[in-house]
Amino acid sequence: MKVMLEFLGLALLAAVLSGNLCGAIGFYVQRLRITTLSFSVAHAALAGASIGLILNFDPVYSAMIVAVASALILGMIFARIEYGRELISMAVFSASSAVAIFAIYMSNVRVLATASIAVVLWGSLLAITVEKLILLLLTLFMFILYIIAYRIQIDSMLYDVKMAEAEGVNVQMHMLIMLFFAGLIISSSLRLTGGFLVFTLLYNPVAASFQISRKAHLQLLASSILGAASASFGLLVSYTLDWPVGATIAIVSSIILLSAYMMKVLVEAFRRRCLSRP
Amino acid sequence: MHFSKEVVKLRDVWVAYSGSDRPAMCNINLTVPLGKLVLITGPNGAGKTTLIETCLGLLKPYRGSAYLFGVDTRSWRIRHARRMCGFVPQDFMKPPFEAYTVRHVIRLGFAPYKSIFESLTEDEDRRIRRVSELLEIEDLLDRPIGTLSGGQQQRAVIARALVRKPRALFLDEPFSSLDREGRRLISRVVREYVRAEDASVIIVSHDVNPIIDYADIVVRMENGRIVSGEGYA
Ligand SMILES: Nc1ncnc2c1ncn2[C@@H]1O[C@H](COP(=O)(O)OP(=O)(O)OP(=O)(O)O)[C@@H](O)[C@H]1O
Ligand SMILES: [Mg+2]
Repeated sequence: MKVMLEFLGLALLAAVLSGNLCGAIGFYVQRLRITTLSFSVAHAALAGASIGLILNFDPVYSAMIVAVASALILGMIFARIEYGRELISMAVFSASSAVAIFAIYMSNVRVLATASIAVVLWGSLLAITVEKLILLLLTLFMFILYIIAYRIQIDSMLYDVKMAEAEGVNVQMHMLIMLFFAGLIISSSLRLTGGFLVFTLLYNPVAASFQISRKAHLQLLASSILGAASASFGLLVSYTLDWPVGATIAIVSSIILLSAYMMKVLVEAFRRRCLSRP
Repeated sequence: MHFSKEVVKLRDVWVAYSGSDRPAMCNINLTVPLGKLVLITGPNGAGKTTLIETCLGLLKPYRGSAYLFGVDTRSWRIRHARRMCGFVPQDFMKPPFEAYTVRHVIRLGFAPYKSIFESLTEDEDRRIRRVSELLEIEDLLDRPIGTLSGGQQQRAVIARALVRKPRALFLDEPFSSLDREGRRLISRVVREYVRAEDASVIIVSHDVNPIIDYADIVVRMENGRIVSGEGYA
């Protein structure tokens, strides 16, 4: 019992960190309009994890290598072309998913029950170790450091990328760094949600935060908090009901998004009624 | 770093938008020295915006070469040349939900000059005050930019460009949303800026009235070509 609780504590901590990071990077990805790109990166991470299965390599690390590499390569390609970005994203997305399925098919079917394939498919509490937790903490630390160091340049890009570029902000470098973090964060969150659902943590919290506030820094804050809340609450529910953890997190984050949207609709309606009173 | 005294130099420049089968700008030659007020005019679709964005390196020529302060716009050093420029884009308008205040938007103009962990200085904040008084938007500084009218937003973006003390100021249709008073004000401010700072101002405007009397160089474009004022120098 005590071991189980300790273990749950570890998993919860990982969920809070992952959710927080996903919510934050999701905010930047959305505002910098590189969502389709991050979608491809998420699936490249999935392909990387499945390749790890065949090669008998820790899927989290193989996911990380493939995700970060594809993020940097795609980022550099995107900086050079204007049109056809969506096409490339979709091709990478399809190819990555195919690679993932092939790899799962080729790896021994008996492993379907093990923790490593759960990482690829639906997430697992068993995949969380102290080592991975330290990795998450390190990522969080580096990300916060970066955001604070370059806050005014990043802010300028959030407001208007074209003006930032015309004024001499190193837009290309910052886009690449953001994509690097996206790759890192996605692959380190994989073990919690599974490869097919990781982008729910990337997009639902930020979409919910857009319903809550119009101010950029409040959106960032809300997105990080909602990400952490979705992941940790989803994990607790999945533990209690013995549901697959990734899917539960996806459901919780979707419920949060829908509630935020409905709250906004209600508040607006109320406001309008107040305004129309004589 | 060494920079040329020529603000803009375009040599046989051809530019095309990807996906389009004809060039938006062909065989352009243009030189703009420091200390000049340049007016670029022409009808809709003539290629004026394309020209100004090529000067800044936001669009790259597929034939010929473009230089900004002597730096090839294809080079990585172009970033440093851009730091000496101010830019007001044609599509400056932000939607009503944009919550950045005017002061915040103007402050962002200092972003490229800041090293890591550096904040704005008091002197820079004073400069923001001065420029916003000059453009008569000092009462709007704490309003979210999305809630302002088109003309007010345009003044705010011009303020952001001016506060950077650029050696070259690129304005794409800066009069488009301004009333008569506003046009007069901006053309006076721009004129005085050229004289006081020995800077160059490149103005794109299909409506020449507010500024043509003060322009040193007038370039007229049609169909992606310069039809008069070409080359200059
Ligand atoms: N993003 C784009 N993709 C393809 N073609 C474009 C694009 N933008 C402009 N063009 C084309 O390039 C040509 C020049 O356009 P440009 O925007 O430079 O004209 P302009 O002189 O600034 O016009 P306006 O007075 O309307 O601002 C036009 O024929 C236009 O159709
Ligand atoms: Mg134009």
